[in-house]
Amino acid sequence: MLKASSISVNYGPIKAVRNVNIEVEKGDVVALLGPNGAGKSSLLSSLIGLVPKNSGNVIFDNQEAGRASTEDLIRRGMSVTPEGRRIFGDLTVGENLRLGAAIRKDNDGIAEDIEKFLDLFPILRKRFNSAARYLSGGEQQMLAISRSLMSRPKLLMLDEPSLGLAPRIVDQIFEFLVTLRQWGLTLLIVEQNASEVLEFADRAYVLSTGSIVFSGTANELKKSGGVMEMYLGLEGH
Amino acid sequence: MDYFLQQAMNAFSLGGEYALLALGLAIVFSVMGLVNFAHGELITVGGYAMFFAVLIFGVKNPFLILPVGVLAAILFALLLERVAFRPVRAAPPTTGMLMAFGVSIILQNSALLFVGTRPKAVPTAEWLMFDLNFGSLRIPVVQLLETGITVLAIMLLVVFMRRTTIGMAMRAAAKDFSTVRLMGIRANRVVSTAFAISGLLAGLAAVFIMARRGAVDPFMGFTPVLKAFVAAVVGGFGSLPGAVIGGFALGIAEVALQAALPSSVAGFRDAFIFSAIAVLLLFRPQGILGERPDFGEKT
Repeated sequence: MLKASSISVNYGPIKAVRNVNIEVEKGDVVALLGPNGAGKSSLLSSLIGLVPKNSGNVIFDNQEAGRASTEDLIRRGMSVTPEGRRIFGDLTVGENLRLGAAIRKDNDGIAEDIEKFLDLFPILRKRFNSAARYLSGGEQQMLAISRSLMSRPKLLMLDEPSLGLAPRIVDQIFEFLVTLRQWGLTLLIVEQNASEVLEFADRAYVLSTGSIVFSGTANELKKSGGVMEMYLGLEGH
Repeated sequence: MDYFLQQAMNAFSLGGEYALLALGLAIVFSVMGLVNFAHGELITVGGYAMFFAVLIFGVKNPFLILPVGVLAAILFALLLERVAFRPVRAAPPTTGMLMAFGVSIILQNSALLFVGTRPKAVPTAEWLMFDLNFGSLRIPVVQLLETGITVLAIMLLVVFMRRTTIGMAMRAAAKDFSTVRLMGIRANRVVSTAFAISGLLAGLAAVFIMARRGAVDPFMGFTPVLKAFVAAVVGGFGSLPGAVIGGFALGIAEVALQAALPSSVAGFRDAFIFSAIAVLLLFRPQGILGERPDFGEKT
């Protein structure tokens, strides 16, 4: 589905991402873990074309995708739930969902999909016509994920979906991600909060100061105590 | 009573003109953070297009001349965006502003060089200046049309911004352009649409300005847009409802003071108005509907 090789991202003299290779197979849930400032978000932004890459190749859905614009990548089936949710606060919940489907023309299908998410998250139905900024953090995250699914992506990338949310809400969000996995979606999840993602991820990468320090299956990562402790602050098995 | 109604019509048509121009400034600013000081040149270009339509192509039918002005302003706004502002979009906002000044100077001087320094008469429709009589009340057709078309244009704009995907995208882009791109919406399309709308609104204003003045000159766009800029600031810069409120408030204030002030001080009308605005901005620096910049949140 996605294969990125030797990606580097520099911000002036700062090397945020150094020569990183990652691969996401169709139908897989891949976790991209690492401490704050490891370069996870920079890597994600470069994959979606929001930040220029200094080097590297990206193949998405069997096509070259290293130089494509953000807009084109979205049209080709990538989607992102950005860090901090970034919902459109002045727009209504309904308008947020409609904008998520901006690349689609099938009005009936769009209406169906909106219904689907309103059924999944009844609070969004209740607030459908009010400005999205009045939603709580957790509700905003549900809206943000729903919005990024409205384009019917092949690959959904989530940037820190648990950031700043209460533990109970985090559980709810991850439950939803498990549902997405059951729908057959391919997910790339960037997280600092490693333990919950590793519960259901197939594979994991650990990034530290811009470089990959671990890549393997989620189970292998859980067993490698050194990596878990050193980079993720967790007890290994 | 008649005098009052007559002055009220004056106020609404002048306010409408400011509102159309202020809206154009606000819409471009809200989407791309550019204060387009070349906005006045859209009016000038609309005016000259009408002048050339009459001079070169011998267009006599006013129903053809007026759309020429509007269309020219729209096309010119799109051209400006494409050749002048798109290349510097990633640059700091001051670059865009200087670009706008540059464009403005080039255009004014081209008009001076190639057309001449003196105002050129443009025979617009005579029926526009015709007075309608309601009893003893006399109202020029142009004022009725100006007020009516302004209101219609604003209503259509509201529908456009609320109902269409691109309109919603423009509202969203006012706060967060990069997330709009994450929806797969092309940045260029959002920005061109903003310019096209600002051109359309300026074109409508140009038609009415021409109808009143009956002539074009190279600097005709300057004063109206300066006033519109003030109106936009009073309303809250970047806020679209604010631009409308600011435009009408300024138009009404100008006409009211003109009518109310004794003739010995009427010449200081603008000084009174700008003093009042200065006081308003002291207490509400963000304007009537503007939002205070948010310093709290991490972006």
